[in-house]
Amino acid sequence: MNQSAHLLELRGISKWFSGVRVLEGVDFEVRAAEVHALVGENGAGKSTLMNIISGIVAADAGQMLWEGQPVRLRGPREAQELGITFVHQELALAPQLSAAENIFLGRHPAESGWVRWREIYDRARELLNGLGHSIDARRLVVDLSLAERQLVEIARALAFRARLIIMDEPTAPLAEQDAAALFRTIGNLRERGVSVIFISHRLKEIFQVADRVTVLRDGQRVLTTEVAGASVDGLVRAMVGTELNEHVAHEAAAGADGEEAIRVEGPVRFAVRRGEVVGLAGLAGAGRTELLEWLFGAGRQDGQVFVNGRPVRVRTPLDAIRHGMALVPDDRKAKGLVLGATLHQNIALASGRGRWFIRAARERQAAGQLLGELRIKAAGLDQRVLYLSGGNQQKAVLAKWLYAGARVFLLDEPTRGIDVRSKAEIYDLVRGLASRGAAVLVASSELEELLRLADRIVVMHRGLIAGELTRAEATEERIMHLATGGVQ
Amino acid sequence: MSAAALLRRFGPLLGLLALCAALGTLSDHFLTFDNLINVFRQSAVNALLSLGQLVVIITAGIDLSVGSILGLCCVLVAMLLKAGVPPALAVPAALGIGGALGSINGLLLTKLHLPHPFIPTLGMMNVARGLALVICGGFPISELPSGFRFWGAGSVGWIPAPVIVVVVFCVVFHVFLTRTTVGRDIYAIGGNPQAALLSGVPVDARLILVYALSGVTAAAGAIVLAGRMNSGFPLAGMGGELDSIAAVIIGGASFFGGVGTVGGTLVGALIMGVLRNGLNLMNVSAYWQTVVIGLVIVAAVWVDVVRKRAGEKGERKS
Repeated sequence: MNQSAHLLELRGISKWFSGVRVLEGVDFEVRAAEVHALVGENGAGKSTLMNIISGIVAADAGQMLWEGQPVRLRGPREAQELGITFVHQELALAPQLSAAENIFLGRHPAESGWVRWREIYDRARELLNGLGHSIDARRLVVDLSLAERQLVEIARALAFRARLIIMDEPTAPLAEQDAAALFRTIGNLRERGVSVIFISHRLKEIFQVADRVTVLRDGQRVLTTEVAGASVDGLVRAMVGTELNEHVAHEAAAGADGEEAIRVEGPVRFAVRRGEVVGLAGLAGAGRTELLEWLFGAGRQDGQVFVNGRPVRVRTPLDAIRHGMALVPDDRKAKGLVLGATLHQNIALASGRGRWFIRAARERQAAGQLLGELRIKAAGLDQRVLYLSGGNQQKAVLAKWLYAGARVFLLDEPTRGIDVRSKAEIYDLVRGLASRGAAVLVASSELEELLRLADRIVVMHRGLIAGELTRAEATEERIMHLATGGVQ
Repeated sequence: MSAAALLRRFGPLLGLLALCAALGTLSDHFLTFDNLINVFRQSAVNALLSLGQLVVIITAGIDLSVGSILGLCCVLVAMLLKAGVPPALAVPAALGIGGALGSINGLLLTKLHLPHPFIPTLGMMNVARGLALVICGGFPISELPSGFRFWGAGSVGWIPAPVIVVVVFCVVFHVFLTRTTVGRDIYAIGGNPQAALLSGVPVDARLILVYALSGVTAAAGAIVLAGRMNSGFPLAGMGGELDSIAAVIIGGASFFGGVGTVGGTLVGALIMGVLRNGLNLMNVSAYWQTVVIGLVIVAAVWVDVVRKRAGEKGERKS
């Protein structure tokens, strides 16, 4: 391969975070005027690799070459000066400023302290039109659609004279036609000689937009290939790794034949029976969290919920709790716990709402028992949950719902950011809940987790259900196939 | 309980005792029975306002309207009495009006989704003060019936009636905050409104109640003040919102919500009362008193910050 054709080249990049290896000897090249897709499961190391390229994180080992010259980035500013720009998933724009001001933020063309507004607007218009879109450069970013904001970010990158733009899941929040427009913009960038690293979970898109694709798995590069010679199935196999399916223990019960505990009718339809654990799979942005929060009365969606076969209206979380539901939210610190309050207060928070006075003695006895049952490691009931480990915090959230007597459990990423041992304990707990007759719906980005826990897996894609797999049918490949928009 | 936790709990009280000891040595008159009773009597109105303010601040809110609601209730209760309404009816009516005004604050906050309680209560602060001036034409309404004046100027034995009112309110609020499920909801809302909502706490209803309670305590303050002054005057309670906020914060509550006790708040109100009284006794001018109070507020919160930081270090280790 011709060395000079590489705009960016990484050799043997490794990175550890607090003793955990997240990247191991990764080689990665981007050619000039190339759209290079980067795929991998959550936690494969994509974000870390991109953070290294854009100077946000320093590699622990390895070398980076820019146009054949070794470089050492000491911060994102230096990456920007080279011509590397990262368009983040959460766009970094100032919402109350105009598109043009955002494009030149921090580098307003000025003359002895006076901003040259005419030049700002003229050049912004030029950049935006050059991308093939007509956005009024004077409009405030807050009034722009998500797709338009992305365009402003890209124009901003071009104003920096970017030669490599990294896009982290740019299509995740976009509707189909906006995604198509973005692909045209990316093609436009390539024609101007700008390279793009395109991260996406939607494998089909890669065949629409990219020239080459690299697959990361467990911090290693497993594949780089021309898109023309690749297939969705081949990519999925590379992402998942064939050996993975073998060590998935079949712990789940053969399936439950209890009565229907909860059922949803509408654009999304599925049911969970008593004694059953149903997995909810899907990529980031597929709408799992939104679905669970809506079921729990904390969001808006179309559809009718049935509890124990009867139609119910769930307008607030309080309604949901009265129907025996429990939500373990995806972000336990922001939504699950009152961090400054004690374990006792947190465990009792969802209970006793029909009563005037707190029955402290009874609560303490029950909460103390839960501490033991769930093996929550704490100094006592009066310890504040702020300083508990992630696993113990998550168990405290579960304890709250056990104390409230919930019978339908909605679990959203129940083991996110939790150590291996607590993870296993939470798996046991979830299976234990089901075996005692609870209905469990568990959403997770970790396919292995769903395969371990669930009797049945419902796969979501863009807010809708793409398919349903029984325990016997479910494999990581099949789930990924459905989750990336494939047909069952 | 560890030494740090004890200090955190009783820090404000220790501050109050130290202050009393210091003033006792500086002035012969300070530690006399009559003077201390006087301090309690003078602190009563601020203590009442502070109780309502405390409940609001526990939810991470703020109520800027308590002084003005006090003023408006002061005028309204005087007008009712002048119109011949017996005190036994006028007093509950005033409390009800205060509660209604407070619940308007809560409704504005939760139903209009105003961005911060600062806004609705700032509006109410101006509206209530303006209305107080409008309805009495700016003139105080004096000469109230003696049955009513009892609440401000009377006493049972040697205990002033305002002190009894404060004690009753303190007990009720303490039980409410620590022993009832609604009280627990209020702390949870201050600690993490999102988690509270997702645990079934009816957050909006609780917030409306909280601001209504603040209105009720402001009205109670109005009754005590009108009784003591023997008049309903429209400028009553000017600056009361800031004094009550100061008392609550000196008493160990946090602006970030989820923290605060009735005991601490009462101590906070007494610290301010003792300070004013002591400085009066030492013939410090009112101008300088304001300077001192300002310094004490900043110093008290700073001490609290230092104390908390030390406490957290200890907790993290355990």
